[in-house]
Amino acid sequence: MNVQNNGTPDAPRLRGTLHATLGAVILALAALAPGLAHSDTIKIGVPVPLSGSSAAAGTDILNGAKLAAAKINAAGGVLGKQIELVPEDDACDAQTAVQAAQKLVDAGVVAVAGGYCSSAALPELSAFHRAGIPYVLDASTNPKLTEMGYNTVFRTIGRDDQQGPFAASFMKNALRARTAAVIDDNTTYSKGLAQNTVDALKKMGVDVVYAESITPGQMDYSPTLTKVASLKPDVIYYTGYFSEAGLLVKEARQLGLKMTIMGGDATNDPTLMKTAGPAADGMIITTSPLAQFLSGAHDYVDQYTKTYGQGPGPYSVYEYDAVGVTAKAIADAKSTKPAAIAAALHKINSYPGLTGTIGFDPKGDRSRAVYITIIVRGDEFEPYQRQDASGKWEMMK
Amino acid sequence: MSTFLQFVVEGLTIGSFYALVALGYTMVYGIIRLINFAHGDLFMVGAFVGWTALGTLAAARLPLALALVVAFAASMLATGALGVAIARVAYQPLLRAPRLSILITALGISLLLENGVLIAYGAGFRTYPHLLTQTGFDVLQVHITFAQVGIVAASFALMLGLYLFVHHTFIGTAMRALAIDQDAARLMGIDVERLIQLTFFIGSALAAVAGVMEGLFYTQINFFMGFVLGLRAFTAAVLGGIGNIPGAMVGGFLIGLLEAFGAGYVSSQWTDVFVFGVLIAVLVVKPTGLFGERVVERM
Amino acid sequence: MRAQASRASGRTQTSWLVAIVLLAAAIALPAFASGYVVDVGLTIITYAILGLGLNIVVGYAGLLDLGYAAFFAIGAYTTALLETLLHFSFWATLPFSIVFAGASGVVIGYPTLRLRSDYLAIVTLGFGEITRIVATNLDITGGPNGIYGIEPPSLFGFEISSPHAVYELGMAFFIVVLLFAVRLGRSRLGRAWTSIREDEAAAEAVGVATLRVKMLAYVMGALIGGLAGSLFAARFGTIDPTAFTYLQSVTILIIVVMGGRGSIPGVILGAVIVAGLPELLRFLNLWRIFGFAVALVALMLLRPQGLWPARIRRAAPRPEEEKRAHEAEAAEAQGKESAPAVAIADSGAIDAVAARETLMQVSNLERRFGGVRAIGGISFEVRSGEILALIGPNGAGKTTVFNCLTGVIRPTGGQIRWRGEPLGAGAPHRNVHRGIARTFQGIRLFNHMSAFENVLIGMDHRLHTPFVAELVGTRAARSEAAEHAALGQRWLDLVGIGARASEYASDLPYGDQRRLEIARALASQPRLLLLDEPAAGMNPTEKHALMAQIRRIRDLGVTVLLIEHDMALVMGVSDRIIVMDHGEIIAEGAPAQIQNDPVVIDAYLGTAEEDDGPDATDGEKSLWS
Repeated sequence: MNVQNNGTPDAPRLRGTLHATLGAVILALAALAPGLAHSDTIKIGVPVPLSGSSAAAGTDILNGAKLAAAKINAAGGVLGKQIELVPEDDACDAQTAVQAAQKLVDAGVVAVAGGYCSSAALPELSAFHRAGIPYVLDASTNPKLTEMGYNTVFRTIGRDDQQGPFAASFMKNALRARTAAVIDDNTTYSKGLAQNTVDALKKMGVDVVYAESITPGQMDYSPTLTKVASLKPDVIYYTGYFSEAGLLVKEARQLGLKMTIMGGDATNDPTLMKTAGPAADGMIITTSPLAQFLSGAHDYVDQYTKTYGQGPGPYSVYEYDAVGVTAKAIADAKSTKPAAIAAALHKINSYPGLTGTIGFDPKGDRSRAVYITIIVRGDEFEPYQRQDASGKWEMMK
Repeated sequence: MSTFLQFVVEGLTIGSFYALVALGYTMVYGIIRLINFAHGDLFMVGAFVGWTALGTLAAARLPLALALVVAFAASMLATGALGVAIARVAYQPLLRAPRLSILITALGISLLLENGVLIAYGAGFRTYPHLLTQTGFDVLQVHITFAQVGIVAASFALMLGLYLFVHHTFIGTAMRALAIDQDAARLMGIDVERLIQLTFFIGSALAAVAGVMEGLFYTQINFFMGFVLGLRAFTAAVLGGIGNIPGAMVGGFLIGLLEAFGAGYVSSQWTDVFVFGVLIAVLVVKPTGLFGERVVERM
Repeated sequence: MRAQASRASGRTQTSWLVAIVLLAAAIALPAFASGYVVDVGLTIITYAILGLGLNIVVGYAGLLDLGYAAFFAIGAYTTALLETLLHFSFWATLPFSIVFAGASGVVIGYPTLRLRSDYLAIVTLGFGEITRIVATNLDITGGPNGIYGIEPPSLFGFEISSPHAVYELGMAFFIVVLLFAVRLGRSRLGRAWTSIREDEAAAEAVGVATLRVKMLAYVMGALIGGLAGSLFAARFGTIDPTAFTYLQSVTILIIVVMGGRGSIPGVILGAVIVAGLPELLRFLNLWRIFGFAVALVALMLLRPQGLWPARIRRAAPRPEEEKRAHEAEAAEAQGKESAPAVAIADSGAIDAVAARETLMQVSNLERRFGGVRAIGGISFEVRSGEILALIGPNGAGKTTVFNCLTGVIRPTGGQIRWRGEPLGAGAPHRNVHRGIARTFQGIRLFNHMSAFENVLIGMDHRLHTPFVAELVGTRAARSEAAEHAALGQRWLDLVGIGARASEYASDLPYGDQRRLEIARALASQPRLLLLDEPAAGMNPTEKHALMAQIRRIRDLGVTVLLIEHDMALVMGVSDRIIVMDHGEIIAEGAPAQIQNDPVVIDAYLGTAEEDDGPDATDGEKSLWS
C-alpha cells in the first residue's frame, strides 16, 4: 500500500465525496419505488429467470405468456381493460427472487403467472402470499409449494409426487422391470422426483438396487455407471436435467450397458440427442405432454415458431394456459382485487386449456395432471405410451 | 478386481484433463504468485473456439485428422492469445499492488469470460460433432476405448514436452529463474514482461488443448463447464505443490483417481468432500504440498 | 504534534457525525420507501454484516478466506434446525448459532495456521464446499431441499415477518456488529493482527502469540458470519444449500476487497454496491452479470486499494498520557518514586542484578542443519547485570545461538536453562513472556504503524484487564490502557525518540529506527535483551550514543547480550566477551584478555590494524567484510 502524505487517504474532499455518494445511493434506491399505478391495464406479473444458465427456459416461458396476453387483448382484454405483463428476472436464485417478487408487488400486479426453479418459486410465493396475490405456477413441480397451507397458489403443471408413481408404474407394468436404479443430481427438484419414484417402486415390489446422486458439472460419470452396472438393474431412471442425461446415456452405452435408460421430465430437450448421438436412441422419458404432442396445441406451436423463430420449449404452453386461466378468473370474479381473483381461481374446474381441461383441487394443484412417456428415435422425440383411464398402458398414436 | 481396474482406467482419463489444466495454474503461480481464477474459464473458451472451428470447417470437407489439427491449432492460438491479453491488460498492471486486489481481478475476469461466452453463444449447450470412435478393447475384463488411451497419452506427451522445455531449454531456464527471483532475473537481462506473457500463452494453450479434447470426448460444452473442472484442477496443483510442474501432473491424476474411487465405491455426491478432505490432510502433514519446496525464513 | 492531534480529532468528530446521520437515515428507511427498496436494503444489510465479519479475517488479520459462506451456513442451519426440530424461539437459537459458528472457526482455522497464504485459499475454499456438500447430502439438514417452515421471531408478542420489521431487526444486528468490529480494531487484538500482517515473524518475536491471534481472527469472523446466518433464516423462513456456495463466499470477498480491505466504511460501501448494483442493472437482463464483471475489473485496475481504503493506523499517545509520562520521568530524575504503573524499572530485576544471579545457562548446545553443524556443543552462562558480547567471524553461528535462545529454532542437542528452569522449545512468544527480548540484524519494525504503536505491541502481553472488558470499555480497562500508553511514551523517551511517537516507523531515519526496535524490545520489560548487530550501519557518533544507551539499559536492571562486529564498541562496552568460530567457543573472558588471546587473533582479529579507543573515526572499517 502506498503511503501518501502522512497516510490520510487522498484529501478530506474525497472522503466528503464518498459520503455524498453513499447518501446518493441510498436515496436513489429509495427513489426506485415506483409510484402507485393508476393505469387502465390489468397487470399480471411473470417472474422467471432471464439471466444466468436458466435464461433460455425463462425466456421461453415469457414468450408463452406474451402469446397468451396478445390473444386475450386482441379479443378485447378482460373487464374492458388490456392485460399488461410485467416480467421480472429471478435468476433462479432465492435472494434475487424475493426482490423480484417484491418489485412486482410494488408495481401493483393483481396476479402472477410464471416461475421456473422451485428454489426461487418458494421465496417468491411467500412474498406474494403476504400481499395476498395469487401465484399460478407453470413449471415448478416441487410438492412443497402447495403444501404450505396457502390458498393463493395454483399450478397448471403436475407435481413430482404424481410423476414418481407414474414412472414407477411404467417401469413395473410396461417394462416389467424387477430391479431398478434411480439416479438424481442432488438438486431440489431432481431429488424430490427421485425419492417419490423410489418410494413408489418399493411399494410396487420393484427392487431398487441403487439410489444415489451425481454431481452435475463433472462430465464423466463412468465410475458411477460402472458401479451401477455391477448391480445389474433392469432399468435406470435419471431424474436430473437433459445435459447430464445425455452424458449419462452416452457413457453408459460406451461402457456396454444394455438396459433401458429413462429420464424424468427435465430431460426432454433435444440437446440430449445431440450430446449422446445414436446412444440416446430408445431412451424413454416421462413428462407432462409437450406442446408438440398435444392435439389442441398445433396452432400454438405454429404461432410460436412463426413469432420467435424456433419451436416452443416444454413449459411455455403451460404458461400460456396459466395466463389464460388467470384471465378467466379475473373475468369470473368481475374484480381486480387479488383476493377475489384467488377465490375465483379455486372455483375453476373445467377451463379448456391447450394442455387439457384445467381445474384446481383445494390445495391449488391441477386436479387432472396428465403425464405421458415419450421415446427418442433418431434425433426426435416421439410419443410412446400412456395410461388409459383404468391405468393400463397403451401406445399413443 | 475388474471393477477396481475399471475405476483406475476411468480415473486416469478424468485425471488427464485435471493435470493439463493444473499445469497452467502452477506455471502462472510459479512466475507471479497469482492464483489465476480465470484459468478454468480459458479451458472453457478453448472448447468453444474448437467448436466454432470445427463448425466452420465442416463445409470444407477436410480429412478428419487435418480438421482436428486445425481445430486444435486454432484453439491453442486463440486461447493463448486471450490469456496473454488478459495478463497484459488485467494482471501486469497490478503486480505491485496488494495481492488480494489481483486475486479479485482474476475472479472478475472469470465472471467476465463466463458471461461473455453466455452472451455470445447463448445459455444453451453446444455439442461437438461425434468424431471420435467409440471402439475399444477389453483387457482383464476392463473396457478401454481407444479414445481414452489417446487422451491419456496425449496429456502425458504434452506434460513431458513442457517439462523438457522448462528444464532443458534456455527460455525454460529463464522462466525458472524468474520464478525464483524476479528482480534478480531482470538484472541478468531477462525480459521479464515477455516471459510472463509466454508463460500465460503456454498455460492457456494447454488449457485449450484440454478444452478441445473435452469437447471431442464428452461432446457437450457450455459456458459454465470451466467451473467444476477449474476448481478440481486448482486443487490438483496445490496438492502437488503449487509452482511445481511434476507436482501438478501427479496431483491431477491423483484427483482423477480419487474421483473415480469416490464415485464408484461411495457416491458421486461426496466426491468433493473426499478431494478436499485429502487435500487438507496432505497439507496438514506437508504444508507445501506433495512436491512443494519448504520456504525457509532467514531471520 | 499537538496541533496535528486536534485537527485529527476534529476530522474524526465530523466523520462520526456524518456516520450517525447516515445510520439514522438507514434506520428510518422503511418509513418512506417501498417494500422492494426495503427488501434490497435488507440484502445490503446482510451483506454488510457478512462483509464486516470477513473483514476481520481478511482486512485486519490479512488472512485469506475463500470459504466464509461456511459460517453463514452454520449459523443459518443451527437456527433453522433448533427452531424446527426442537421448537426453540429464534432468540434462543442465537447463542447456539454464534457458538457453533465460532467453534467451526476453530476447526477451520487450526489446520490453516501454518500454511502459506496462498494455500489458505484452497483450504478455506475446501472447508466452505465441504460444509455446503454435507448440508446438501444429509437428510437431517433437509438435503437439497433445505429446511422450511422456520418461524419468524417475535418480540413482546409482535411477529417480525414483514420486510419492514425484519429490516429493523437486521439494522439492530448490524449496529451490534459494527460496534464490535470498531472496538475490535482498536483493541490489543487489532494491534496484534496488524502486526502479524506487517511481519509475522517479528510479531512472534516481540511477544505476540501469532498462532492464537490468527485463530482468533477466524473465530471472530465466524461469530459474525453465524449471526448473519440466523438473520438470513429469520428473513426467508426457508433455507437451502444453494445460498451457501463458493460463489457466495466470493461475493463477500469481493465486497471486502472492492470496498477497501480493513476499512469499515469501505466494506459497507462494498455491500451497498454489490447488493444494490445488480438490482439497478435489472434492465440489462442477460448482460447484468457481465456488466458487473466489467465494472469489477475496471475498479480493481483503477483503484486496487479499494473504493474507500482503510486509514493507516496512526495511534499516538493522547495529551494526558504524554503529560503523565513526563511527570513520571521528572519524578524519577529527582530520585523520587514515580507512580508504580509508569515505572520502567522492574524492581525484581534490579535486585537480581545486585545478587548477580545466573540468568541463563547454556549446556552443550548443538544445532545441525542437515549435515552442517552450525553450533557444535557450546556451553556458557549469562549472569544478571552484565553486558556480554558474542563475537566471531560471519558464519560462526552467532545468530543461530540467538535463534535458539529465543525459541525461533529448536536445538538439536543440549539444554538451555532460564532462571533455573529449562527453556522449552515452545513458540518464540513464550520466551518473550518469560523475559527474553531481542532485536534483529536487519531492522524489522511494523512499518505502517506509528512508533508509538510499535512499542505498544511489545507491551500488550502485559495487560491485565481481560479482553472482553477492553472491548466493552470498562473504567478499569480504560485506566489501564492509559497507564499503558503513558508507559509506552516513556519507553520512547528513554531511547530518545519521544518526539516522534506518532510518525510511521518507516518514516524514521535509520538511527531512530534502531532505537525504536530497542524500545519495542524493552517494552516487554525483559530480564535479558539480545541485541543482534545493533551498530550496523551507524556512524561513529551514533555508535557512541548506542554505547551509552546500552549502559543505561543495564542500569535499569536488564542484562544485555549482544552480537557485534565493531570491535571498538564491543571492547568499550562489554563486561565479558565470548568468541565463536565455526560453531564453537574458542575464547571467553574480559575484553583485555580477548584482545591479546592468540587463538582469537588467529581466527578473527587477523591482520587488520586500527586505532583502539572508542573514538576511532574509522569505525566503519569493519574487521570482517
